[in-house]
Amino acid sequence: MQRKHNLSSLRRVLSILGEAKPVKRTAVLSALMVMLSGAAVRAEDAAQKFTQAEVDASPYLKSVVARQGTMADTSKFRKKGPYKIALAAQGPTNSWAALFDQEARHHVDQLGKDKVSELLYASADGSADKQVPEVEDLLSQNPDALILVPMGRAALAASVDRAAAQGVPVVLCASGVDGDSYVTEVGTNLYGLGVRMANWLSDQLGGSGNILVMDGIPGVDTAEIAKAGAATVWRNKPGIKILDEQYGQWSTSEAKKVAEQWIAKYGKSIQGIWSDGGQMSQGIIEAFQEAKLPVPPIASADYSNGLLRQVKDGHITFSAGQYPNAMVILCIDTALKILDGESVPRFIDFRNAMEKTQDVNTSNMDAFFNPKWSDDVFPPIFLPDSKMVELKYMKQ
Amino acid sequence: MQRYGVYCSLALLLLVALVVRPEVYRPEPLFLILRSASQLGMVALGQTLVMLVAGLDLSVSGVIVLTSVVIAQVGAGQDSRILPGLLISLGFGALIGLANGLLITKRNVPPFVATLGMLVLIRGAQSAYTQGIPSGQVPDGLKLLNQSLGPLPVSFVIWIAFTALLAFILYVTPFGRRVYAIGSNREAARLSGIPVDRYIIAVYVICSLLVVGAGIILSGYVGYVDRYLGRGFDLDSIAAAVVGGVAFSGGRGSLVAAMAGVLLVQFLSSLLLIIGMDVQAQWIVKGLVVIGAVALYSLAGRRS
Repeated sequence: MQRKHNLSSLRRVLSILGEAKPVKRTAVLSALMVMLSGAAVRAEDAAQKFTQAEVDASPYLKSVVARQGTMADTSKFRKKGPYKIALAAQGPTNSWAALFDQEARHHVDQLGKDKVSELLYASADGSADKQVPEVEDLLSQNPDALILVPMGRAALAASVDRAAAQGVPVVLCASGVDGDSYVTEVGTNLYGLGVRMANWLSDQLGGSGNILVMDGIPGVDTAEIAKAGAATVWRNKPGIKILDEQYGQWSTSEAKKVAEQWIAKYGKSIQGIWSDGGQMSQGIIEAFQEAKLPVPPIASADYSNGLLRQVKDGHITFSAGQYPNAMVILCIDTALKILDGESVPRFIDFRNAMEKTQDVNTSNMDAFFNPKWSDDVFPPIFLPDSKMVELKYMKQ
Repeated sequence: MQRYGVYCSLALLLLVALVVRPEVYRPEPLFLILRSASQLGMVALGQTLVMLVAGLDLSVSGVIVLTSVVIAQVGAGQDSRILPGLLISLGFGALIGLANGLLITKRNVPPFVATLGMLVLIRGAQSAYTQGIPSGQVPDGLKLLNQSLGPLPVSFVIWIAFTALLAFILYVTPFGRRVYAIGSNREAARLSGIPVDRYIIAVYVICSLLVVGAGIILSGYVGYVDRYLGRGFDLDSIAAAVVGGVAFSGGRGSLVAAMAGVLLVQFLSSLLLIIGMDVQAQWIVKGLVVIGAVALYSLAGRRS
């Protein structure tokens, strides 16, 4: 199914390329690159298989696997452009979300007014309470499609139902909601991410060693899902001993405090770290460096440019997954496909559809690190350098 | 009992730790505990002062992150620019304290609402200014604050020095006596000729300046602009003051006992972490300790 989807997309991109106006060619070419590189990473993704027992044990995994294999019929949404697209975003509460907005605006500019006539935008300031009425406001402006970055799995379910009832197709972007009335979700398999990072760490240690596990925020589903994925690996690796497992609240300072106590307690017996977030990994590395201890191999759920700087300067063995803010490009393109009446999978993993989204590690990090970017930038970035400089995210 | 409750509790906790986890008394964990205590302690000093005039400051975590953004932007990674960064941060801190104080005294806004509103305002202004990505870099020179002076962390020495200074002001000078008088009965203080509003405004300004101090220490500690820096310090500082016997109603409580409360809260946090307790259980234990402290104080208060 996935392959069929990509091939049909490829055909479409090629046909557009034939008729494209010169000014749009760069955008179409970049879309083609995204598709082709998607094909390159598919083999890696296919290697990540889950047992039936794993799928049965995790409702999240079960849902993702089922939706990846199901195509949504979008013929009823087919309409002529240009389109009015609504984007209910997190809002610039942190660097990840700030660049998410910039990528969205830039991509819409690239597409041109004859494709997207208007981008209706609402910032939730990271709050589900604020986002619910905002989605109502957006829907009252009769958009052709709604791209929603849900701030709460349960809180936004009714808003998605309302959009569906109004005949507006919904693309969930970067996170999911309860219920089933959206067309598709763009994101990644977070359970699989937890598994991959845990397997990488185990391989680094030759299947046995003492490790420490730092999770995100208790009760936040994205943190708990990755944690559950890693936990299945630990269960099957009797040689891996978890010395301690704590939450670092996705905060550099919290993570550093916890790591300092770990170092004081376990010292040189720590052989590996599994951390559910780049900003926490930064704090952990700081703690080891201040204690003048070698930093053990560290598996990180995601990363920022600052973490890559630290890893590079400190010659640290590491691997990290991706959660690119640039996935909004894929969300917008998916909304356009839906409005074109093209069927799409009910779950789209950006790892299969975007370039530079494979796992980052010590050997390939140079392709992702940019010494001129500020530490808080989350690669990969698809904005041109001139835009990054203009936005003050990049030194000239 | 009321006066010495926190010291007895701290002694008891130290004794329990000696039995349960004697390794906590090695120099390394002790150093870390004192360093963390000093970060929270600087905030708790300000929070205690504010609580003594029957106030509350919920804007402290906003001031901490704002300080770290200013230090990184103005400092730009250069030690020579620490001083301008420090002065600008203190300027912002004073303005925020002044605004809090004016809202509470001149507009009669309840402290909870005024300082919570200020927190939202600071966060909004900061997001608008940085567009989510704070540029700049924390100067390396600030890391000195987290290193050691003999066996003690530098930040701990700073905290003790500020505690001594403020304790002197509170217990020896007329300013201190008037702060207690205002907290006990604002109207009576006003009638006896104390310029109540000016004192309350001054206390909020001092609180924000102390929190800027905590922000500087924390910026040096993390070395990055962490948007979660100081998160939880608002409630933890209130908890420490309450455990130390400072009354929400104002006018009652000792600054030194509140600082013992900081040590107690921090020592307990570190001990629970060293034991390897789940975070959920850690929160339950901490919550129980705060509730227990308040219950004991109110019981002792009723008896006396």
